Amino acid sequence: MARSTTLIRLASRNLRRYLRRTALTASAMIVGGALMIFSLSLGDGGHEDWIESGARMGSGHLSVQAPGFKTSRKIEDRLSAAARAGAERALQHPSVARHVVTVVPQLAIGGLASSPTGARPAQIVGVDPIAEAAFSMLDDKLVEGRYLEPGDRLAAYVGAGMMEALDLRLGSRLVLTAQDADGEISGQLVRVVGVFRSGVPEIDQTLVHIPLTTGGTWLHAGADVTTIAILLDRSRAVPAVQRALERELTDQIAAGELMVLSWRESSPELNAAVRIDDMGNYIWQGIMFGIIALGIVNTVLMSVMYRKREFGLLQALGFTPRQTGGLVITEGLALTAVSGFIGIALGLFLTWLFFRNGLDFSFTWDENFTFSGVVVDPIIVPLFSVRRVMQSLVFILLIGTLASLYPAWRAMRIDVAEAMKFER
Amino acid sequence: MRAGPWWTIGWRNLGRNRRRTLITMGGLAFGYLAVVLLVAWMEGLTAEMIESATRTLTGQLQIHDDEYRPERKIYDTIGGRDGADVAALLRSVDADPVVAGAAPRVYAGGLVSSGAATTAGMLMGIDPAREVHVSNILNAVVEGHPPRAESHDIVIGLEMARQLGVGVGEELILVVPAADGSMGNDLYTVSGIFHSGLAELDAVYAIMSLPALQSLLALDPGRVHEIAASINDPWLAPAAADRIGTQLGATARGIEVEPWTRLRPEMLDYAQLVQAWNGVIIFIVFAIAIFGVANTMLMATFERRREIAVMLALGTTPFAVVRSILAEALSLGAISIGIGVVLTTPLFLWFYHAPPNLSWLYGDFTMLGALIRPVLRVEWNPTVWVWSGVALLLTALVAALYPAARAARIPPADTLSGL
Repeated sequence: MARSTTLIRLASRNLRRYLRRTALTASAMIVGGALMIFSLSLGDGGHEDWIESGARMGSGHLSVQAPGFKTSRKIEDRLSAAARAGAERALQHPSVARHVVTVVPQLAIGGLASSPTGARPAQIVGVDPIAEAAFSMLDDKLVEGRYLEPGDRLAAYVGAGMMEALDLRLGSRLVLTAQDADGEISGQLVRVVGVFRSGVPEIDQTLVHIPLTTGGTWLHAGADVTTIAILLDRSRAVPAVQRALERELTDQIAAGELMVLSWRESSPELNAAVRIDDMGNYIWQGIMFGIIALGIVNTVLMSVMYRKREFGLLQALGFTPRQTGGLVITEGLALTAVSGFIGIALGLFLTWLFFRNGLDFSFTWDENFTFSGVVVDPIIVPLFSVRRVMQSLVFILLIGTLASLYPAWRAMRIDVAEAMKFER
Repeated sequence: MRAGPWWTIGWRNLGRNRRRTLITMGGLAFGYLAVVLLVAWMEGLTAEMIESATRTLTGQLQIHDDEYRPERKIYDTIGGRDGADVAALLRSVDADPVVAGAAPRVYAGGLVSSGAATTAGMLMGIDPAREVHVSNILNAVVEGHPPRAESHDIVIGLEMARQLGVGVGEELILVVPAADGSMGNDLYTVSGIFHSGLAELDAVYAIMSLPALQSLLALDPGRVHEIAASINDPWLAPAAADRIGTQLGATARGIEVEPWTRLRPEMLDYAQLVQAWNGVIIFIVFAIAIFGVANTMLMATFERRREIAVMLALGTTPFAVVRSILAEALSLGAISIGIGVVLTTPLFLWFYHAPPNLSWLYGDFTMLGALIRPVLRVEWNPTVWVWSGVALLLTALVAALYPAARAARIPPADTLSGL
């Protein structure tokens, strides 16, 4: 297309003619693009960290449960042996298995933990010590003693908050009380073998891990579990894996035996937190690029006003108003495309160069900052993705087009005779 | 003597190309609006968090026995095992000028059973008449009524009611380890159900009258674990806590008076962190805006290079040229502030008086354990308005430095000879 290449050549010559003006506008765009990619990849990295920590402290990226369990948290709503077998079969399906990092069985119920000092409501989770240590973050949050081990029977891994509240020491006894599978109130004596501090008060004050076998015996649940918690390699795989699992388990879901929950459903607060934080980030980008766009409008408009004669001449030689407008838009687009591309590349490069191992925010907040049930790690590792880069490019091109519309409209309305009448 | 024509020259130049000037001013004014609103939103979020954390249940300050926290043993009542003159304590707390209300509380962990189902609960004994002035928990009763004094009424959270399968009017059995080492148990009637929105509160808390819980726990009437007080402006709490502490002779009596800033230090940290970010926001927004202003000023001086050459040829000093261009930038900045304030004020007033509720878009979420409504509320902070204005003027000045320096070095002879 000879015509469109002519337009592009004209546009690029015009941009080069006023190099200083072009460079100043381009710098704003480059700084903006770099800042955008920097804050988006840090935001995404932070969210991935929150989600992973939420998943690893609770019931995974995805979990398989009986339909009533999410709200009741009672042993009655446990998974039947058939449901569990079905879920385990579905997890072997290749489209699911390639994203799965670990799968752990959990027997989670609400109960009471009491010591001679008093009694506290507790979230009691029966776990397989080896599998859980690979899945959960809690075993890394150990402050005293050790995590559960395979031979343990009457052992409990307790949060620091509950230790304080119940005045417990390592080796102290405490009694867990809850409703068992027969509907009776039943107590179980356990000993504290390890203490953790996650930093989230809700977790440190309520969560107790005990061996799965102890839980099963105490609650007369045998080998049954309430939850199959699934950890995936990355949170972005969640929707696809959830769909695949639901497809594999269609019959059992329809029969009301089980359901597949994602972290968004099992921790709605975390979901809201991630989405609100994203919205804040978008507002911020919108404001920055609003300011940059006004700068581009000004540059392109001025270049149109200075070149009235030139455009008049072009039109006198046969350029249609539409082509004149097209030329102005091409200039604006070329300017934003090139500078936006440089900005994004620069942003990616700088973020990767300086912060690929994480940007340490511990000078502004310490490790006690919690958000919707997760501790916000002060070291944020940026997460790069092709999707974000494409999004940013499209956004920048959109800004470029929008900012050139008004100048282009002005250029189209130039009166040829008037523009060429006087020497400037 | 007049200050010289430089201001007039600078000012008039703004009118040379009105459209360009307006677009540049628009950029600066938009930056001003963005900074003021962003900071106000962030501070609104902090205020929402602090209010929600303190008003839901905690109160803005609390009085305990100094042994009580963090174990919260049931025998560590205010004044130790002998108890204290609660009425006198309440009177002296109420007497403080900023305290809006004070209420006594007793706590105990126990099992709540409906017969068919049992769950663990945090039992809380309150004085209903006083509690309404301290926390919002009784306002959150969505069904039935708060516990009456001297009754066996109990109010439980919506989630607990669902788990236990009970409704208003039905009976519950409480089993609690009491202060004398025995197990207290008795029968209570559900008089109401509350819904605070905080999952742990709604699933765990059970509220009853103070004497009812004291008798279940075998505690004398003079023994309470906590006196909570409310103060309308949370930021006045630390000073009030010190005043009340001194007035009660707290240290000598083994009592501690703690404002929320010491009960929840992480919230105070967060509020300070947000304030530190204000400066960063102002900096980034205006750093981006600087390019736009520099561009405009550069164009404006380039257009006038012949005029400036004439001025220089007639004996104007280069410094005077710089002054006129800086004057132009300052005038531009000043008008932008005006436009910014005019644009920001109605938006701010709207957000201030009727904050848009985004709950159709986002659910409630929690920060540091406090429930946050997805509402775009703003806080009024005049210093931010002033500082953003100062930053805007600085931006305009800094952006004009380079164009001014170039203008001052225009060679008069070459320029006027037609180049």
